Amino acid sequence: MTNKAGTQTNLSMHAIIWLLLSLSITFTLYAFNLENWVPACFVVFAIWRYLIEKNNWSYPTLWLRFPLTIAGGLAVLLTYGSLFGRDASVALLAVMISMKLLETRTKRDFIVMVILSYFLTVNILLFTQAIWVFLAVLLALTGLTACLISVSHQSMQTNISTQVWKNHFKVQVKLAGKLLLQATPIMLVLFVLFPRIPGPIWGIPQDSYSGMTGLSDSMEPGNISQLSLSSKIAFRVEFKSAIPANNQLYWRGPVLWHQEGRRWQMASDRIPLPMETLQTSGSATDYTITLEPHNRNWLLMLDLPEISASTLPAEARVKHDMQVLSKEPIRTRIRYQGSSYLQYKLGAELSEHERTLALQLIEDENPKTRQLAAQWISEKKSPTAMVEAALKMFREQEFVYTLAPPRLGKEPVDDFLFNTKRGFCEHYASSFVYLMRAAGVPARIVTGYQGGEINPNGNYLIVRQSDAHAWAEVWLQDRGWVRVDPTSAVSPDRIEMGIGAALTDSDLLPLLSRQDYPMLKHLYMNWDAVNNGWNQWVLGYDQAKQLALLKKLINKDIAWEDIGLILVVSMIALMLFVSYLLLSNKGMVLNPSNRIYQQFLKKLAKAGVTKLKHEGAISFGQRAAKTLPNQASEILEISALYSSMQYAKQANSKITNIQSLNLLKQLVNNLKV
Amino acid sequence: MKKITDAIIAKTSEVILGKQQQIKLALACILAKGHLLIEDLPGMGKTTLAHTLAQVLGLQFQRVQFTSDLLPADVLGVSVYDRNTANFKFHPGPIFTNVLLADEINRATPKTQSALLEVMEEAQVTIDAVTYTLPQPFFVIATQNPSSQIGTFALPESQLDRFLMRITINYPDAASERQLLQSNGGREQLAKLSPVIDATQLQALQSACHDIHVSDALLDYLQAILKYTRQSAQFNAGLSPRAGLSLKQCAQAWAMLDGRDHVIPEDIQSILPSVAGHRLVSNITLTGSVDNIAQLLKSVAV
Amino acid sequence: MAKGLNLSSDTSLKPDFKLNSPKTWFRTAIAIDSTTTLSRRHIYILPTRFGWLYGLLLIGLLTGSINYSISLGFAITFLLAGLGLIGMLHTWRNLANLKIEAKRANPVFAGEQAVFEFNVIDDSNRARYSIFAAFADKESDIQDIPALGESTFRLSLPSQKRGWLKAPRITLSTEFPVSLFHVWAYAETENQCLIYPHPSLRSQILPSADTDGATGQLSTTQGDDDFAGHLNYQFGDSPKRIDWKASSREQGMLVKQFQGEASSTLWLDFNATTGNNIELRISQLTRWLVDADAQQLKYGLRLPQHSIQPNSGAAHYHQCLTALALM
Repeated sequence: MTNKAGTQTNLSMHAIIWLLLSLSITFTLYAFNLENWVPACFVVFAIWRYLIEKNNWSYPTLWLRFPLTIAGGLAVLLTYGSLFGRDASVALLAVMISMKLLETRTKRDFIVMVILSYFLTVNILLFTQAIWVFLAVLLALTGLTACLISVSHQSMQTNISTQVWKNHFKVQVKLAGKLLLQATPIMLVLFVLFPRIPGPIWGIPQDSYSGMTGLSDSMEPGNISQLSLSSKIAFRVEFKSAIPANNQLYWRGPVLWHQEGRRWQMASDRIPLPMETLQTSGSATDYTITLEPHNRNWLLMLDLPEISASTLPAEARVKHDMQVLSKEPIRTRIRYQGSSYLQYKLGAELSEHERTLALQLIEDENPKTRQLAAQWISEKKSPTAMVEAALKMFREQEFVYTLAPPRLGKEPVDDFLFNTKRGFCEHYASSFVYLMRAAGVPARIVTGYQGGEINPNGNYLIVRQSDAHAWAEVWLQDRGWVRVDPTSAVSPDRIEMGIGAALTDSDLLPLLSRQDYPMLKHLYMNWDAVNNGWNQWVLGYDQAKQLALLKKLINKDIAWEDIGLILVVSMIALMLFVSYLLLSNKGMVLNPSNRIYQQFLKKLAKAGVTKLKHEGAISFGQRAAKTLPNQASEILEISALYSSMQYAKQANSKITNIQSLNLLKQLVNNLKV
Repeated sequence: MKKITDAIIAKTSEVILGKQQQIKLALACILAKGHLLIEDLPGMGKTTLAHTLAQVLGLQFQRVQFTSDLLPADVLGVSVYDRNTANFKFHPGPIFTNVLLADEINRATPKTQSALLEVMEEAQVTIDAVTYTLPQPFFVIATQNPSSQIGTFALPESQLDRFLMRITINYPDAASERQLLQSNGGREQLAKLSPVIDATQLQALQSACHDIHVSDALLDYLQAILKYTRQSAQFNAGLSPRAGLSLKQCAQAWAMLDGRDHVIPEDIQSILPSVAGHRLVSNITLTGSVDNIAQLLKSVAV
Repeated sequence: MAKGLNLSSDTSLKPDFKLNSPKTWFRTAIAIDSTTTLSRRHIYILPTRFGWLYGLLLIGLLTGSINYSISLGFAITFLLAGLGLIGMLHTWRNLANLKIEAKRANPVFAGEQAVFEFNVIDDSNRARYSIFAAFADKESDIQDIPALGESTFRLSLPSQKRGWLKAPRITLSTEFPVSLFHVWAYAETENQCLIYPHPSLRSQILPSADTDGATGQLSTTQGDDDFAGHLNYQFGDSPKRIDWKASSREQGMLVKQFQGEASSTLWLDFNATTGNNIELRISQLTRWLVDADAQQLKYGLRLPQHSIQPNSGAAHYHQCLTALALM
């Protein structure tokens, strides 16, 4: 290792640039997910380290590094409240890596740094797994590999020109790319065949899923409109048949029974209620939903799903009010099939218990609303007429559908119905149900999504968080639970054409839910089709998919245990193949005549005449002819022809050359020893 | 062309009995336009070989016996003052000929040796600032006794390099010797010998020699040999680029003598001991022996 | 891995097994016709400590991916695992099928560093990077080798005894490109360096060329025509050479030094040296040889077995030294 000291400076300049470049990518990704001061900390230390290298500054002493490390740890502790948990531990690792930059100078330091950086970079997947993140991670990994290559390349001259220096850069990144490309087949085989054990092996930190959005189990004025601001995708739906009209697309989520002030909640599970009866008519609509994780149990279904165990995802159950729940919160993207009827009759009979729950209201609130209800009761209106009256009120008075309603006062329903008259779907649904209950008509709120966006590129429907919706169901004698969407009375466009068409103040909406920018939308649709495939086949690849794929490939049912065997066999085959490609020594490149001559030599060697390496073709031919007098003339002819092909002036015409080549081949083939 | 060269060899063989290989080598050396050094013990027929070749090739022939008191002027010529014309008149020395036989070159002093070797290199003589061109073709056949003999001035390595080839003649085989003993010795026949070609034809042969094809594959082999001599611990110093060029030229001449229009590795192998022998100094014995060359040939793959 | 790649045994290439050092258990590539080829069976591979660390990283990533059910995590983990495997193959082939050719070593005097040079050649059309060569971990040199090209490695070794010094076994190794694996091979080469005897200190002066040849020191004074300079008189210098005129000018005793084409001929005779130890006598003779050459004298060497005729010049000098070295 005598040269080590001499090559040190250049070694670290290449390496430091690669390391800083790739860590910059990693920290850019983290900028979206960690507290801002963490990437900022990296930027400071990265610049510092770069200047040390460039200007030959001295490295900071232990007396500086030690307090910095303590400060970094404390900062993480203060920001995240702990050093454990997903965010905190990743932040701690990120901060420590940033600081370690200041003491990275030997080959050993660099390699440890690269390995730690690999770890940090891959950890971003805990936060997000989008395609572009994956691509950025690949880029960072390539850079880190180039760093590894540059520190491994210790033979670089101490004083090399800029040109050579740049060349080294190119060589390093090329080789890094090559290594990763060659690793890809191994990755694919392992990815497809490595047995997927459904996790988790141990507990998962609580904060792991904090980033997920979706419907909650309760509703207050404002939280659906809040959700509407997000363009995140809630789920995608592929229909087996034609996609129903937009106003039929009610995606059923939590059903809210219990009112408590502004807040509406699901009925408690402790109250046993009988399953509501369901009569369907018409043909079923079959579809497949790919649900994004939202850390809740609801599985959204098109109103109204037919309940049969075969179509439901495993371990899901149906509540009495036709809400479908999974056993565990949805933390990974799942895919399930549904079958729904657009025409149905739900809950022919209403039990006493249900009636009580469906009429429950907190006493002594919203006097004006109660007064209106009392007036309708005194008018002896039928429940159907009451519904009509309420809808008429929404339709004819100056109610406005808006994402930015004014704050409501102490009596929220009164305030909304008689004062502000501006609200989002949850305002309409909750005040409608309140009014119905006050008037003695059993009613409940259903939350979920309404509508969706058809992606022509994939012929599927994208439903976003911005499509979140709330509507009402009232129970009418002989008709059961009937869906009433008070929003449609205020803003029919919302139901017919989607939220983008309905809102006048649409700039509050996410860009992609709006109706302007068709070009952008078109691009987006293409992109989403790619994304959908990505989700289906990469992110959603789990044990079930794995078994299904293998079944398709091998056309036989495979036990989960057999996958291991298949994996081992295919890995061995792949490694043998790759090793053969990489390691086989082609040696000197032989010209065609030389190759044929080698066959000739092999034949003679079998007969016991071996050419010495220093023997010329002619003299060997003469020797061989003496040993094998029966074939003497052939041997001499071949030797002479080969010798002249090797050493004589070649004819300019290709044909002559090919002819003599063929002649040689023929002679060698005909030679029988 | 093969006919002509065969005729030359056959004619020479009539005088030099049983030395086909040496005659061929000597002829190859002449065709490659190089000077020849024949090294052997006295009485082996060195002088006869040189004389015969000159005769057969129809060349002008001069012989100089080198002795320790031989001066450069005795070889090159002198300018003498002519009273009649009141001018210096140049009297050309024996070197103004086609073939100069420098007999026992290592008996002369280094001064005289150097003078001759300089002319060999430049093919012209400069005396008193006047340059005299030698006739073409011109070459020197030098003979020398083995360096171990007393009273000799061994040619230094740098000057040995001027000779394209060094050959030895060796004792004749029994049959040839018998034939020689039966006759009256070669010298008598020498006088009766008629030339096969003349100087112009020889020059044509020499230029034809240049056109013998040397393929890339052959150059690879040649370079491998050169590289080996430069790297092997066997030799003190490797072959020079000039030696490489000499090897190529001799191989071309050899191929021509074999009636081929291209050079094959066997040609190189045939001429290598003669061309490289005196240029390579073995590390161990300090004499370029044939054994070393054989080792070299064995080590380099074709 | 090392086992897997090297199990194929070839009896012709097996080195002698000596149990005194575990390192000799490994197979060593030997030179055939002065070229040593590192074939498949000569190459050994083990992970470096970074390789183990990398393995730990992979295990960590895999358990993380399983625990959090991150499908993409699996993908990246497997990509990195693939990178490790591919890196292993690349490291292996960075060393495999190299050819080593011994180069001529310049002779040195005993005690000096003998420098061995050898060409490492790639004929697989692949550039090789960061190839280390070392003699038993002591001296090392590091070079890149261009595709279908060669690089010259230089390793030195202190010389002790006169005679031929054979280069010890060379260890060639590399960790390029990923430093996760260490690949090495042992090679014998035909490198040898001639070690001239160590010249003794200037204890005894060069035998005078003036004394008669009876003791083997012959001189001819006719050639002493070129006056070369003065030297201080030392005991034993010929009185004929003392510059009496200079001495009379009170410049001290000076000896005239001559030089010329036909200067005195000096015989350096082994029998003229004294002492019982042959090595010391050879050392003494070497000292004379060195001094004689430095003064550009014409000298001959007379050894018990054979003698070398008087001459001068570099070739002669080396010839004499070689004869002494191999005596």
